[in-house]
Amino acid sequence: MSRVPFYLRERLDDVKQRVLFETYEAQKLPKWEQVVLTWIVLFSFWTIISANVKVENLLIGGLATLVISLFMYEMLTEDIRRSGHILEKILYISFFVIPQYLFIMAFRLIESNFKVAKHAVFMDINPGIVKIKTELHSNTGITILANSITLTPGTLTLDVSKKLGETYLYVHWISVETLNREKAGEKIKGDIEGWLKKIFW
Amino acid sequence: MIEYFFLLLGELIMVFGTLGILRFPDVYTRLHAATKCDTGGAMSILIALAIISEASPLIRLKFLVLAFLIALINPMISHAIARGAYKHGTKPKVVVDMYAWDNP
Repeated sequence: MSRVPFYLRERLDDVKQRVLFETYEAQKLPKWEQVVLTWIVLFSFWTIISANVKVENLLIGGLATLVISLFMYEMLTEDIRRSGHILEKILYISFFVIPQYLFIMAFRLIESNFKVAKHAVFMDINPGIVKIKTELHSNTGITILANSITLTPGTLTLDVSKKLGETYLYVHWISVETLNREKAGEKIKGDIEGWLKKIFW
Repeated sequence: MIEYFFLLLGELIMVFGTLGILRFPDVYTRLHAATKCDTGGAMSILIALAIISEASPLIRLKFLVLAFLIALINPMISHAIARGAYKHGTKPKVVVDMYAWDNP
């Protein structure tokens, strides 16, 4: 890439971006699956918030959330990877991915609280801002990864730079252990990125 | 019995978070203490309240929705504050600053 002549580089970037966009379009979910997923999320939220399981309440809620999900199906489910049947996907996400993610993030959160308490008492800090690379491309995936990095011990996401198929995160690390990009990425991201890559594009 | 354990854990985490806010040197390290300890403390107190309260289960689930919203919103707010502080020109006290290398 560095030896390409200057006048060819923009054209090459154009071609790369088009290839990326077309593979992304080919891997999207079909429309009716997006509508069904959005409807399930909105309807469960309605049921919990209204706290009322009479038949007419559920009927009104179901109709209203169906109309909303027919309009807004792109907002939540745009970046989900296509894989398998929709029923299999719903069961896999709601009974396997979300409990595993919540369980391990809860223990990470408690560990990070104790680590902050230890740093506050002994003041053995060595802060620095490092740059790591992620292999996620979609907005939803990067957002969830950045928020998870903020909640894991000792790290805080500062900014994201997204260019042409490569995404970098700037992370404020409270005790810098290594400056190598791959090792720092492994230490900071852990296995969160692997789980997110199964679902998000 | 387990609800009092959750309450005590939440208050302990909050106390150490406040100590961290008071003792750390600059904005970014203080944000570490604020974000993590607020999220963990508030979530464990909410879980304890969901166990203690004697309402129907659907109403108890609302506490868990609150905990989920806190876990969703708190990191975003801290990210916004940190980025805004950096753009405003607050220099961090760090050993290495790769963000300044790329954005001179």
